Amino acid sequence: MSAVAIQAGDTPAARKSGGMTSWEKWGLILVIPYLLIFVVFVIYPVGYGLWLARHPESYTKLFADPIFFRTLVNTLIFVVVAVNVKMVVALFLSGFFLHTRWWIKALSLVFILPWAVPSIPTILSMRFMLNPEWGVINSAIFKLTGMDGPNWLNDPTLALSFSMLAHIWKSLPFWTLILLAGRMAIPGEQYEAASVDGASNWQKFCFITWPSMRSLFLTSTILSMIWTLGDFNSVYLLTGGGPADLTHVLATLGIRYLRLDQVDLSLASIVVALPLILPLVYFMMKRLSK
Amino acid sequence: MASVSFKNIEKSFGATKIIHGISFDISDGEFVVLVGPSGCGKSTLLRMLAGLEPISGGVITIDDKVINDLDSKDRDIAMVFQSYALYPHMTVRDNMAFSLKLRKADAELTNTRVANAARILNLDPLLDRFPRELSGGQRQRVAMGRAIVRDPKVFLFDEPLSNLDAKLRVAMRAEIKALHQRLKTTTVYVTHDQIEAMTMADRIVVMHDGIVEQIGTPLELFDHPGNLFVAQFIGSPSMNVLKGTLRQADGREWVEALGQQWPSLTHAQARDGQSVHYGVRPTDITVSASGNGIPAKVIVVEPTGAETELLLEVGGAQLVVVMHGRTAVQPDDVVHLEITAEKSHVFDGTTEKRLD
Repeated sequence: MSAVAIQAGDTPAARKSGGMTSWEKWGLILVIPYLLIFVVFVIYPVGYGLWLARHPESYTKLFADPIFFRTLVNTLIFVVVAVNVKMVVALFLSGFFLHTRWWIKALSLVFILPWAVPSIPTILSMRFMLNPEWGVINSAIFKLTGMDGPNWLNDPTLALSFSMLAHIWKSLPFWTLILLAGRMAIPGEQYEAASVDGASNWQKFCFITWPSMRSLFLTSTILSMIWTLGDFNSVYLLTGGGPADLTHVLATLGIRYLRLDQVDLSLASIVVALPLILPLVYFMMKRLSK
Repeated sequence: MASVSFKNIEKSFGATKIIHGISFDISDGEFVVLVGPSGCGKSTLLRMLAGLEPISGGVITIDDKVINDLDSKDRDIAMVFQSYALYPHMTVRDNMAFSLKLRKADAELTNTRVANAARILNLDPLLDRFPRELSGGQRQRVAMGRAIVRDPKVFLFDEPLSNLDAKLRVAMRAEIKALHQRLKTTTVYVTHDQIEAMTMADRIVVMHDGIVEQIGTPLELFDHPGNLFVAQFIGSPSMNVLKGTLRQADGREWVEALGQQWPSLTHAQARDGQSVHYGVRPTDITVSASGNGIPAKVIVVEPTGAETELLLEVGGAQLVVVMHGRTAVQPDDVVHLEITAEKSHVFDGTTEKRLD
């Protein structure tokens, strides 16, 4: 037999007459620091930003700017192409890194490096590599062919493509690791049973790997889209939004307006990204809370 | 149905050799159980037969055809795994039909085979459920159904009952045995549980440290264990073993151990003064309250209803005796043990091999 002690303060009668129980008081005290931080660092800045971006004329000016629509298109291309290419490559690379051969283990350490090194020096290095006059790529082209290489970052399509490449190069290791963890959670006996049943490697992928990974893959893709919408470095450090402001994405557009002293447009450009981000966040949270 | 043959099978993981040249044959339609403690190599041997593990040395044949380099799918085997390894995203029906689907079998044939297997295993009401909606025993039956649908030459079972509770294990044991009696498919079954081996096998292969200790029918192994390891591994509770010295006089033979004389048959290979292990099964000792037997002190009495297990002390060593029925014996009582020489087992003290 065990005895359960009930404190007098916990009874409904005491609650009615005396207000909060001691448990509730302690709960409130422990929650207060978090609430303060949330209000000061989340509610206030977001609220202030929305308040600064409250004027309808900011949006009229923003929508009238041809760069804005170019930016919107760039953002959609960036999110759809870069994220999907990255996630599909990560899905297959995770299968490669599942192998236990020593050289694959060694290669995986090198493969992690782009994700582990800081963004600014690496992406600036890429920018230097792509320099049309003294960049390592064009120097090599000149040595090999005797001809000048293209001005890579002066072509908007090429420049945006290189930004996407920089983004993929930087974040591919992270998503490969996440999907590798997902693959490692699939019991090996399922693959062995499939071998005995007569499945080829592709059939094992279709009937075992993909059904098990589908949910993780979709959640990772949504999360990656949210993060990619906020990826400032890959575009700004490589192209600076150029040439002629034609490679901006929503994450870099705010800085462009700030530099032009148009704070209201800068904040409005952030607010217009919310209809893209919020449904993704809602959809992801709904999936995670299942 | 098929015969299986292992010839000098070896397996190494890097520099570590874990199977040291195993050879034995399995006849067409036979139910052979590989049994042994963890790490003895029994599962590895099964996995080499299944094609899930490369063979380091030797030859495995199915129906006299060497299968060493064949893919699993080309060996015409079906395997039931310890964790069942059902495909979680497929219904029971799809799990069972999967191998035929991969072989692009005729839909009508697939449906007939699945329906037959479901009927044999009482899976009809579960065909549209997913594995997560099934109990452990039901999953086990689906795994067996998946194997049956293939109609393979050889069934392989890798500790299939280890994840089930004790009661279900006994029930499934009977089901697997009944299934074999019905289908008569050659079966290789791996377990560490000697009771499973005893109750199911036509023949048992006892393995230890990568070698075969003994092969025989369950009762051969029980009645004539070839060495001390088999003697102690087969049988529950395990055989009582005492270290002693063999004595011969007047055409008689006995073993001196714990300051007592333990009766034994005469052995042609034995010599007086030889160091031996003397073994007697707990069920082969008769206990009486008075008499001329070896005196023993009762330490614990464990009644299980039909039987009573006694833990006894003789000369500082402990012995287990299983009595049929019930007893009035109490702890601290002194009882007398009677053993007939025919029921004793004597093993060489050094080689631990049985003396005949």
